[in-house]
Amino acid sequence: MDQQILNAIFIGSIYALFAVGYTLVFGVLDILNLAHSAVFMLGAAVTYSLVVNRGQAFWFACIVGIAVSAAMGLVIEHVCLRPLRRRKAPPIAALISTIGLALIIVAAIEQGQPGSFFAWLWVDGPNSVAFPSGTIPNPTWHVGDLTLEASKVAIIPISIVLMLVLGYVIRSTQVGRGLRAVAENPRAARLMGLDVDRMISLTLVISSALGGLAGILFGVALGDISPYIGRDNVEIRGLAVIVLGGMGSIPGAVVGGYLLGLIEVGALVVLGSSARGGVAFAALFLMLVLRPQGLFGAQLRERI
Amino acid sequence: MDFFIQLFTDPVAFWNSHTLLIAQIGINSILASSMFIVLYSGQLSLAAPGFMAVGAYTAVLMDLYWHTPLALNIAAGVVFAGVVGVLVGLPVLRLRGVFLAIATIGFIEALRLGVILNLPITGEGLGLKNPSADPLGGINLVLGCLVVVLFLVWRLTKGRLGAAWAAIRQDELAALSQGIHVARYKMIAFVLSAVLAGFAGALEAHLNFFVDPGDQQYGVTRAVQILTFAVLGGSGHFLGPVVGALVVTSLPWVFEQAQAYINVVTGVFLIAVIVFRPQGIVGRGGLAIIRPWWWPRRNVRAPAPG
Amino acid sequence: MSVLLRLDKVQRHFGGVHAVDGVSLEVEQGSIHGLIGPNGAGKTTLVNVVTGYVPFQSGRAWLQSDELTGLPAHRIAAFGISRTFQNIRLFKDLTALENVLIGMHTRRRDDTLAQLATLPKVRRDQRSRMDDARGLMETVGLAARDIAGRAAGTLPYGDQRRLEIARALALRPRLLILDEPAAGMNPSEKQGIRELIERLNEDGLTILLIDHDMRLVMGVCKRVAVLDFGRKIAEGTPAEVSIDAGVIKAYLGSASERVVTSAPGASAAGDTELAGEVSAARPAVEPQNAILEIEDLTVSYGPVNAVRGASLRVAAGEVVALIGANGAGKSTILNTLSGLIRPDSGTAVFDRLDLTRAKPSAIVRHGLVQVPEGREILARQTVLENLELATWGRRDGSAKRTQIEAVMKRFPILGERRALRAGTLSGGEQQMLAIARGLLARPRLLLLDEPSLGLAPQMVDEVFKAIQEIHDEGTTILLVEQNALRALEIADRAYVLETGQIRLSGTGDELLHNPAVRRAYLGG
Repeated sequence: MDQQILNAIFIGSIYALFAVGYTLVFGVLDILNLAHSAVFMLGAAVTYSLVVNRGQAFWFACIVGIAVSAAMGLVIEHVCLRPLRRRKAPPIAALISTIGLALIIVAAIEQGQPGSFFAWLWVDGPNSVAFPSGTIPNPTWHVGDLTLEASKVAIIPISIVLMLVLGYVIRSTQVGRGLRAVAENPRAARLMGLDVDRMISLTLVISSALGGLAGILFGVALGDISPYIGRDNVEIRGLAVIVLGGMGSIPGAVVGGYLLGLIEVGALVVLGSSARGGVAFAALFLMLVLRPQGLFGAQLRERI
Repeated sequence: MDFFIQLFTDPVAFWNSHTLLIAQIGINSILASSMFIVLYSGQLSLAAPGFMAVGAYTAVLMDLYWHTPLALNIAAGVVFAGVVGVLVGLPVLRLRGVFLAIATIGFIEALRLGVILNLPITGEGLGLKNPSADPLGGINLVLGCLVVVLFLVWRLTKGRLGAAWAAIRQDELAALSQGIHVARYKMIAFVLSAVLAGFAGALEAHLNFFVDPGDQQYGVTRAVQILTFAVLGGSGHFLGPVVGALVVTSLPWVFEQAQAYINVVTGVFLIAVIVFRPQGIVGRGGLAIIRPWWWPRRNVRAPAPG
Repeated sequence: MSVLLRLDKVQRHFGGVHAVDGVSLEVEQGSIHGLIGPNGAGKTTLVNVVTGYVPFQSGRAWLQSDELTGLPAHRIAAFGISRTFQNIRLFKDLTALENVLIGMHTRRRDDTLAQLATLPKVRRDQRSRMDDARGLMETVGLAARDIAGRAAGTLPYGDQRRLEIARALALRPRLLILDEPAAGMNPSEKQGIRELIERLNEDGLTILLIDHDMRLVMGVCKRVAVLDFGRKIAEGTPAEVSIDAGVIKAYLGSASERVVTSAPGASAAGDTELAGEVSAARPAVEPQNAILEIEDLTVSYGPVNAVRGASLRVAAGEVVALIGANGAGKSTILNTLSGLIRPDSGTAVFDRLDLTRAKPSAIVRHGLVQVPEGREILARQTVLENLELATWGRRDGSAKRTQIEAVMKRFPILGERRALRAGTLSGGEQQMLAIARGLLARPRLLLLDEPSLGLAPQMVDEVFKAIQEIHDEGTTILLVEQNALRALEIADRAYVLETGQIRLSGTGDELLHNPAVRRAYLGG
C-alpha cells in the first residue's frame, strides 16, 4: 500500500514536470501545444538511442536528449506557431498545426527501423524497449516493505528543484517578468521594448526542454520507451492535469500533477486496475463542468 | 498510379476489389458530416468517437442478445447516441473553444477506458464478436445512408437552422442580438452530430466481425482523424469534410509504397492547410476546385475552423 | 406622449466600479433620444444591461408593457429591440446579404421540415426574403447589386456601419439602438449617417442614439441624456443640455467656458472652413533640425484608410500636439511610429532610424517610447514590477534602481502603492504609472496617446502638470489629445488631423486663437 503511494508520487512528479511545460505555453500564448507529448517521447527516444545504439555515456545522452527537445521547441515555434501569428489566425489553428507536427514526430520514430530513412534516430520501430541494466546507474535499496530504486527516487528531487527554479525565474527575474508581460498584454510588452517573438521562442524552448526531460525520467524509471509513450501516458493526462490545476498556472500544474497521480493510485487501490484509465478523464470532465478555470486559474470572462 | 488507372478504365473491377475501401469512405463521410455540423455551428467538439461507440455497442448487443432486425438495432444505436449526446451536451455547451475540445476528449476517453473496458457485457478489453456482420453486402446500405445523410445536411444548412448556426459560429453575441437562441441551437447541433456519429458507428459495426474498443477505433486517435477530414476539406461547406474524408481515407491505398509514411504526410498536410489555406480544399464556394471557367465567381471568404 | 422604453434606477457595477449608477430614463415613442457622455461614462454598459448581455443588478426596464428585466438577450431582441455595436459586430465571413437575412431570424418561421422537401414554396419564401433584404440594404444607402455577394468583412468601413444598421432593421424593431454609428467617419460620411437616422425616424422608428460626438447628437435628437461616471447628470433638449454647467465640466474640465454644439440643422460647417485653411498651413513654422520626420505617410487599418499622406516634424526639445476628433487617425500614426503597424507608403524617420522597417523593440531602444492610449499597464503585476519591466534590457544595475526611485519620488502615489497590483490603481494613478514607465525607458522622444482620456478633471490637471515638468527637463514630446484646449495650451507647435490628413499646423498659440479651430474643437 505504501509502495503504491510512493508510485503515485513518482508518477505524479512526472505528470507535474510535463504539465508545467504545457501550462507555460498556454499561459504565455493562450494555445495548447499538442506536440508537447511528442517531445516528451522524443527526449526519451533520443537518449535511449544514444546509449544503446551508439554506446554513449548516460549523462551525455541525457544532455543531448534535453538539447534535442529544446531544439524541437524552436521548430514548433517557427513551423507551427509563428506563421499563424503572422496571419492572425485564431488559437484553434495552432492546436491543429501542433497536432500535425506531433503526427510527424511520432511517425518518424515509428518508422525508425534498421535500414530505413530514420534509422539514425531510432531502430526499434514501434516496439517498446527499456534501458538495459548496467547502462544506467540504478542502485536499489530496501526499506521495510518498500523497494526504492534510485532511478525512481531521483525523479522527486529533480522535478522539485526544476519547478522551484522555474518558479523563481518567473516570479523574480527580469526574464520572468518579461514572460508574464507577454502573457498578459503582448502589445504593452512590445511598447516597453520587449522582443515578443524572442520571448515566445524562449517559452517554447523551456517548455520543450522540460517535456523532454520528463520523458527521459519516465523512460529510465518505468523501463518503457516506444513511439507511443507520449500518447499513451501523458498526452491526455497532461490535459487533465492542467485543467485540474488551472490552465496557465504553474503552481496549478504542479499540484495538479501530484493530485492526478494520487487519484489514479487511489482508484487503482479502491476500484481495481481496470478503472485507472477512466478516472483521469472523469476528473477532467467534472472539473471542466464545475470549475473550468481549475484550482488556481483565473476566471474566464468575455468582453462585450 | 495503378489505383487511378483501374478506377477509370475498369470501374466494375475497381468496385469489387475495393469494397472495403469504398465502405470505409462511406462511413468516414458520415463521420465527416457529423463533424461538419458541430464545426459549422462554431463548436470544436471531438466527441464523435464516443457516440460512435455508443451506437456500435448498442446495435451489436441488441443483435447478440435479442436477435432483433438490423434496422431496429441501428435505430436503437442512433437513439441511444442521441440521448447520451443530450446528457453530455448539457454541461459542456457553456465551454468555449479549447475547453470544449478538451472536455469532449475527456468524455470519449472516460467512456472508453472507464466504461467500455470495464463492463463485462461489452466484452471488456477484448471487444465484442459480431457474427452477423456483412462486410461486403453492407456497402450498399452504407452508401445509401450516406446519400440520405448528405441530403439532410445540405437542406439543413439552407434552412433557418443553418443560417443561425453560421451566425453563431461567426459571433455568438451578435447572433443573440438578432434574437437567435444560441444555447438551444448549439445543443441541437451537438445532439445532431452525436446522432450522426452514432449512426456511423452502428453501420461500421455492421461491417466488421469484431467491435474493437481500442484507441484507433474510439479513442483520441480516431477523433484526430475525423478532425483531419474537416480541416483538410474545409468546414464552410457541407461537402468539405466529405472531400477531406475521401482524400484521407484513400491516401494509404493510392500510395501503397508510402503506406508507412501516411502519418507523416497527414501531419504535413495539416500544417500546410492550416497555415496556407485555413478554409480547406472546398472552402466556402462549394466545389470551387472543379469549377469550370464560365461559372460565376462569388467573392466570399470561408471561415477557418473554430 | 407615449413612452416606449422606460428604465428605472438601473445599476450595474464591476468589482468596485459603478459602471451604471441608478440611471432612470424614458424614451418617447417615435423620437430620437440621445445618450451622451465622456468615454467610460457607462453608456455602452447601460445598453448592454438593457439589451440583456449583462445581468441587471438592480433596477428595471420595460418596453411599453413588456418587462425586460432579467430576460436573456435573444428574448429581448425578439421583443423588438435591435442594436448596432460600438466595434461593428458583423458576421464578417458571411456575405452582406446573408448578414441582413440573419436579421430576419425572429420573423422567419422554422422551416427545417419544409426544407427537407425542397418545395417550391420554400424557394419562393427564400426569394422574397432575399428581395426584402436587398430592399433594406438600399434603404440604408448601400448599392445592393454590387455588394450583396461580398463578404461583409471586405466592405469599406462606411458600408460596414450601414450594413450593420440594415441587419438591425431586418428585425423590424420597435426600438433601434445605435451605439456610435458614425465613429471613425469623416464629416461628410457622418452627415450621411445623420440623414439616414433622420429618414428612419421619419418613417416612425424610435431610435436611441449613443455617441460622444456632440455635433451629431445635438443635431439629430429631440431629447438628450448625459451620463458621467455612471450617473445621469443632465437631461433635456439639446439646447438645454449644451449650456448645463455640469455637462460642460464633464467634457472639458474646468478650464473652458463653452461646450461644442451646433444649432440643430447646421451641417459640418466648421470642417469645410477648416479645409479652406490648408493652403495657409505648413512650412513657415516647421523646424529645420527635426529628430522626427514623417513624410507623406499613408496607413490602412483593415478596411479603413486611416491616415492619408500625413507629414509632420518634431524638433528636439519641443512639445508638439496632434489634435483631432475621434477616429481621425492620431493613434494610428503613433502606432506606426512605434513599429506596431506598417504603413502603405511614406517615410517616418527618427534620428536616422527608419521606423517603417525597424522592429518595435529596436525603436524603443533607439529612444522613441510610447505611452499608449488606455494606459495598457500590466494589471496583474505590481506597480514596482511594472516599473522594473520598463527598464528591460538595460544592464546598468545601480543606475536602474536610482532611476526607479527617482520616478517614484516624482509620482509619490506610485511609491506608496509600489507593492500593490497595478490593476487596483485608479485611472489617473494608472496614467501616472504608464508615464513613469515610459520615462524609465529613457526616451529621447516621448509619444503620449490621449493621456487625459477618461480621467476626472482634477486628475487631468495633474497629468498635464507632469507633462509640463517632463518637458521642462528637456524631453521631446509628441502629444495626441482629444482635449484640444489643454493640448494647445501646453504645446509649442501643433497639427490638426482630420480624417487622416493634416489640415492645419502652427504654434500652439496660433491654433488656440484660430477661429476655425475654435469653432471645430473648442466651442467657439
